[in-house]
Amino acid sequence: MTDERGPDSINASRVQPERLEPLDPVLQALDPDRGRPEDVVCSQRLTLSFGPKTILSDVDISFRRGTITALIGPTGSGKSTFLRTINRMNDKVVGFRRAGDVTFDEQSIWSTHHDVLTLRRRIGMLFQRPNPFPMSIRDNVVAGVKAHRIAKGKQLDVVAEQRLREVGLWDAVKDRLGDSPFRLSGGQQQLLCLARALAVGPEVLLLDEPTSALDPVSTEYIEALLATLVPALTLIIVTHNLAQARRVSHQTMFFYEGALIEHGDTEELFTHPKQADTERYVSGRMG
Amino acid sequence: MRRMSPIRRIAETARSHEEGVWQVAGRVAVLLPLAALVFAVSVLAVKAYPAIRVNGWGFLTGTKWTYGGGYALPVHTDGVAHPQGSSFGALTIITGTLQSSAIALIIAVPVSIGAAFALTERLPTWLSRPLGFAIEVLAGIPSVVIGLWGLLTLGPILSRDVYPIIGNHMPDVPVLDFFRGTPAATGQGLFTAGLVLGLMIIPIIASTTRDLFNQVPPLPKEGASALGMTEWEVANKITIPWVRSGIIGASVLGLGRALGETVAVALVSGSAIHFAPNIFGQMTTIAATILTQLDGAQTDGTGFAVATLAELALVLAVISVLVNLAAGVIIRRTSALVPSVGPT
Ligand SMILES: Nc1ncnc2c1ncn2[C@@H]1O[C@H](COP(=O)(O)OP(=O)(O)O)[C@@H](O)[C@H]1O
Ligand SMILES: [Mg+2]
Repeated sequence: MTDERGPDSINASRVQPERLEPLDPVLQALDPDRGRPEDVVCSQRLTLSFGPKTILSDVDISFRRGTITALIGPTGSGKSTFLRTINRMNDKVVGFRRAGDVTFDEQSIWSTHHDVLTLRRRIGMLFQRPNPFPMSIRDNVVAGVKAHRIAKGKQLDVVAEQRLREVGLWDAVKDRLGDSPFRLSGGQQQLLCLARALAVGPEVLLLDEPTSALDPVSTEYIEALLATLVPALTLIIVTHNLAQARRVSHQTMFFYEGALIEHGDTEELFTHPKQADTERYVSGRMG
Repeated sequence: MRRMSPIRRIAETARSHEEGVWQVAGRVAVLLPLAALVFAVSVLAVKAYPAIRVNGWGFLTGTKWTYGGGYALPVHTDGVAHPQGSSFGALTIITGTLQSSAIALIIAVPVSIGAAFALTERLPTWLSRPLGFAIEVLAGIPSVVIGLWGLLTLGPILSRDVYPIIGNHMPDVPVLDFFRGTPAATGQGLFTAGLVLGLMIIPIIASTTRDLFNQVPPLPKEGASALGMTEWEVANKITIPWVRSGIIGASVLGLGRALGETVAVALVSGSAIHFAPNIFGQMTTIAATILTQLDGAQTDGTGFAVATLAELALVLAVISVLVNLAAGVIIRRTSALVPSVGPT
């Protein structure tokens, strides 16, 4: 691991590669992930259950650093369950059981190498519906930054502005940073949540149908924004919108009936699916 | 206007009548409590009027409380008859009321929030259900029972085993002298009164807060833990702020009960009309004073003593109204950052 960030770095996200340890400055600038394993997150024979009900079995998959992977499949196929397992959001859910493993930076996320709070800082999450916190717009953006003590005092204002600019929300809210976030539009609220997630400098961002509650314009905007986050970040996005999966992702994973049926290059999977179920789903004949 | 068949028109009129009836009923229902309050306060004010005139502002600022009289003839001040040598300054009583209620709140609010948090977020359902039910049952225990328990059981234990420890461990700073003192063997005094009041209002605040916590939508809480916040931070930054105005409302409800609690305080306060010399010292409250002194006051042939107790009751009513108004202001301030309607 070359990426040991001090708690004082405000710009913890890898948007600014010069903050990484400069092993070889030129090569580093060309390829900030030099020397890092190509796969950020891997699941090994992962089986997930709630009580007696097995949701997913034997998922073996790797997520390539700096890419966008779409998870598709019918409702109830276990996409959210899989996604939430990656930042250990399921750990405390009643009845949740797992077999197999998930690794992050080649270490099991349940091992002592990863503390759950730090893991969640490094693997962020954006939810299906915007979920602002009951605090001002500005405090929303820096809530995680404060919790992880990444910055404090005046620095927080800098972070807030930087992150709001990054998601294109700054001009809309700069005059009402102290106001409630709940008066923003749905799209703006989701951008605020994205800014909040980015503010703690995650390496991986999990997105669970992040635009399904939004209007087409906001959806398009967020899709474009996501494209700018790679290769600095690795994105894993659950979507029911097949067109969206096709537009934004590099790889696609298709879940169906408790299993990972097929995965591969997005274009390949959509144009030449290998499995009959995949073919039926991507052609819209599965419902 | 559109033409309607006569039958239809009658039906419509009847419906709009019905609506009118409901509207009126609704308004009456809304105004009824207010009317009751105004009525009660007016009656009290009329009853207290002679005392208000004679006692003047000294009633709020004075500390001497004596009925005077004896076998001497009544005297007249401003045309109001009252016992010779009577003097009523209620500052010590008012202070005791505020002190004991403040102690009650300081104890009850954190305990209630903690209990509500445990019930909603920590304990498994098979445990939180019966415990929640137990809390609600606790709210229904008559205050005389709690008061008697406080006097016979709790007070002596506190006096013997707890208060000396608190007193001995207070840092030796002059401002903390208030926390040192010799408690009565019965434990009767300010702290016991505050504690008993606290125990009495915990069920009210805790059960309301539990219901409020259950209404907090899960998504913001999940968002906070997904950001790497600890459970404590989630509670502190999300759950509690989300329902803060409701918690304040519940606390004010509890405070109202504490301010007005009578029997229990009469039993555990020591009913002493002077400033509590320290936090363990004996004192009394407005409600307890009215209860303990009414009998004697009725022997005053001039009626002045009863009028004075009515004036005391009036002060309590005013304090309660002020507390509620203040709570309204605070709630309006704190709810500014929380969604006004529905969950997110
Ligand atoms: N907390 C839970 N307890 C029990 N079952 C659950 C829980 N969460 C999800 N499930 C079940 O797991 C299955 C997969 O759900 P989910 O992962 O949300 O699917 P998807 O996101 O693909 O629509 C569903 O059948 C759902 O009912
Ligand atoms: Mg889902």
